[in-house]
Amino acid sequence: MSSKEKIYSRYMQNRNAAKRISEWSSVLSEIMSPEGKPEALSDTMVLDLSYANFTGMIASSILAEAGAEVIKVEPPEGDPARLMTPYGKTIEGTGIPYIMECRNKYNITLDIYKYDDREKLCALVKKADILIETFEPGMMDGLGIGYRQLKEINPGLIYVAITPYGQYTKDAEKRSSLPWSDLTSQAESGMAALIGALPDDPEPFNWPTRAGFHAATYTSAVSAVCSTLIALFFKRRNGTGQMIDVATADSYSSCVGFPPTIGYIWKKPRPRYGTLDYGLCPYGFFKCKDGYVAIACFRDQDFRAALRILGLWKIEEEWKTLLDRITDDIERAKTLNREIEKVVASMTFDEIFQKFQEFSIKAARSKWRGGGLPVTTKMLHPMEVMEVEHWKARNAFFKADDKYYGIFQVPVTGKMSKTPLRIKRIAARIGEDTTYIFEKYGIS
Amino acid sequence: MNSDYFSYTASLFDRSRVEEKSEALKGIRVLDLSHMIFGPKAADVLAEHGAEVVKVEVPYQGDYWRSATYWGKYWKHSNPMWHFINHSKYFVGIDVKYPKGKELILKLAEQSDIVIENFASGTVEAWGIGYTQTRAINPKIIYASLSTYGQTGPFRFFPGWDLLAQGTSGVISITGYPDTEYFFKVPDFFGDFYPGFFAAMLIMMALNHREKTGEGQYLDVCQAEILMRSLFHFTYSSVTGQELGRTGNHDPTTSPSGIFKTSDGGFVALSVGTDEQFKAICVEMSREDLADDGRYAKALNRLDPTHADELNDIVAQWVATMTLESARRLRENCRFPFSVVEDDVTISKDEWRRERGSVVEFDDTMYGKLVMAGSAAMMSETPGRIKWLTRPLGYHNRYIFKTRLGLSEEEIRELEKERVVGYWDYRVGQRPPVYYKIEEDKIFNYGDKGDVQ
Repeated sequence: MSSKEKIYSRYMQNRNAAKRISEWSSVLSEIMSPEGKPEALSDTMVLDLSYANFTGMIASSILAEAGAEVIKVEPPEGDPARLMTPYGKTIEGTGIPYIMECRNKYNITLDIYKYDDREKLCALVKKADILIETFEPGMMDGLGIGYRQLKEINPGLIYVAITPYGQYTKDAEKRSSLPWSDLTSQAESGMAALIGALPDDPEPFNWPTRAGFHAATYTSAVSAVCSTLIALFFKRRNGTGQMIDVATADSYSSCVGFPPTIGYIWKKPRPRYGTLDYGLCPYGFFKCKDGYVAIACFRDQDFRAALRILGLWKIEEEWKTLLDRITDDIERAKTLNREIEKVVASMTFDEIFQKFQEFSIKAARSKWRGGGLPVTTKMLHPMEVMEVEHWKARNAFFKADDKYYGIFQVPVTGKMSKTPLRIKRIAARIGEDTTYIFEKYGIS
Repeated sequence: MNSDYFSYTASLFDRSRVEEKSEALKGIRVLDLSHMIFGPKAADVLAEHGAEVVKVEVPYQGDYWRSATYWGKYWKHSNPMWHFINHSKYFVGIDVKYPKGKELILKLAEQSDIVIENFASGTVEAWGIGYTQTRAINPKIIYASLSTYGQTGPFRFFPGWDLLAQGTSGVISITGYPDTEYFFKVPDFFGDFYPGFFAAMLIMMALNHREKTGEGQYLDVCQAEILMRSLFHFTYSSVTGQELGRTGNHDPTTSPSGIFKTSDGGFVALSVGTDEQFKAICVEMSREDLADDGRYAKALNRLDPTHADELNDIVAQWVATMTLESARRLRENCRFPFSVVEDDVTISKDEWRRERGSVVEFDDTMYGKLVMAGSAAMMSETPGRIKWLTRPLGYHNRYIFKTRLGLSEEEIRELEKERVVGYWDYRVGQRPPVYYKIEEDKIFNYGDKGDVQ
């Protein structure tokens, strides 16, 4: 442990703990080095047929980062997802989100509407562990290459279907032609209804609002991969495959769980709450002199600490306990937030950060256990995030230097001591690996 | 054309047969040392699929999320939002600050396949229940440490919450409206739930690796990095040298796209990705002329900000002529991405979700009926399931200490006296509901009077 490091936890103050932490730091540097490590899914083969749907592409990208051999199967004219890119920005005709999720894949072309190509696909399916597809429910089945048929030629196959409403139920059948998008998945799953300014703010700011990134899509992709890996584990022990059905209209509500339970218990939907919070107060970003700063208090002692730091102790009496601070009375919640806003507006981020840091360190060393741990950070824009030393030290961005697509950065995570996730190549050109894959699997 | 397929899938995913089917993670033991949402969510995903998850809490204090809730509203003396993060787990109260408590935790870790913790980086090492101490007694352990900034790097000791992870990763700065001060966090602690789900996924990678090689490993799961992994904004900026910024309700990767208001004040979302989808919406709007217009016919042209704005205006006028009810009907047989904005109540009551099993009404022996989210993805052979809701602090002490650690009734009583192990105090969220006769509960009193279940 470097002597400059600040410790915020009271449990790490004594000498014994300090020794353990320093030993732990050397263990970490020894076990976490990524060089020469095996890959968790090096024995796994994945066919990705996703079409105009990023959920499938992201799912297979994550499996490829874990070492699976992922073959992206594209029609000869290319996947329309190639053109779903911010403001139409492309590199060599391919969009940014597409390139970002081409990690370690092989790209082949097949026209599944042609008999011969379906035969080739079936030859690959025989070798595959996982197949991902995003067509309208029953479309693959109608072509004779659905789960029902493919499990006959490969009983261990894990077949992952991703659509807005899933593969079964009456309503899914009625809505089967409805294509996927991230924005509609956010809206359908309850996310958009909760984002937006307070009810009395002007339109359209108080309307349901989208999360500014493909939040529903990434959530659905993670749920697809998580279930796939659970199925893969089951297959290792029992030999049997199965079908996995992901409905993107479920993504947010199924991940966070709040909407179904709150709708049932409270019988009315929550209003949009601006930058306030339903469960904690204050819990948000406030405007300071040079940006926005987080003030997040959970326990009462954290709140008391924040008040002392911000010089607001005089209001403590009125807001003592968490139950005083969280209320469905919006005006009351706004009152407390305005008190914080006023003070924060007159300070710089560094001033606030230093005060919080000093208080936390002192509280951690104090025998007095009610010290509280106020926490803060600055709101950063993506380009600022990329410059943060901490993320550089952790190699959170992979710099691709591709002879075709040039130099660009993509975020990467998944630090595992034995099988770290990694990016080996970015393959985004249509059919660039068709010959290699066909030769490898003896397909002519 | 589809009805034959849908009757096949109806039998494949038949909800009435869930209980007969296997659990994929049966026999896998998870030691859940985590608290709040981020760690517990990861363990919950594993519990849903049959893993035996033992959740350790500090006696007479418990997981702070127990006594939190939205707007201070409780349900049967519990936080309703605590149940779906911690269902089907075993609850024990052990105090790590006593040497004997540490010993009990390590004994459980020795018998476990997976350990999950989300304290500030380094804390479990300081306590003596970290990866170094655990792998010494159980080399095959998969040990997942979850934190906001990760276990290495200059910020590693910074404390963090969902809000901080969302702020520091860029998520908040890109959510809201351009050229205004309207920016929003993603609600419901998304910055905890989503990374928690991601953590379960990484753990499953490690479990598959272990099944193949016998090797355990250590996972440094970083909350902010997981959020960053989900933004294409960094790649966009590294290519263009510019921020993508906030774009309100317009998804800049599709056009037209946005959230629009119906004539009766409802909201719908639509987002057109492909040329085929664009043709379909033009037909629906009776504006086939647009599909032939050079500005709009091809995806890359439609995405041009000026053209996207023009299309969004046309769509807004069209949506303003429909009612929410007609929007719901349009969702059927629709060939472009279109939906209504669903909320807490419509989701909770939704027939599609009830039939699908993504919203379930669970009947619990202690709490009665509660509506909760079901599995996020449906599995035909090994469906996930809820077995019980949460339990009071220390509820499974006897059950786990006797069946897993072989402790006798006398030994447990001694540990209780020394406050090494313990239960709930008076606070809401820790204790059983007042109507519940805990003294008659066979699991809570497991093996107490010889009436072994």
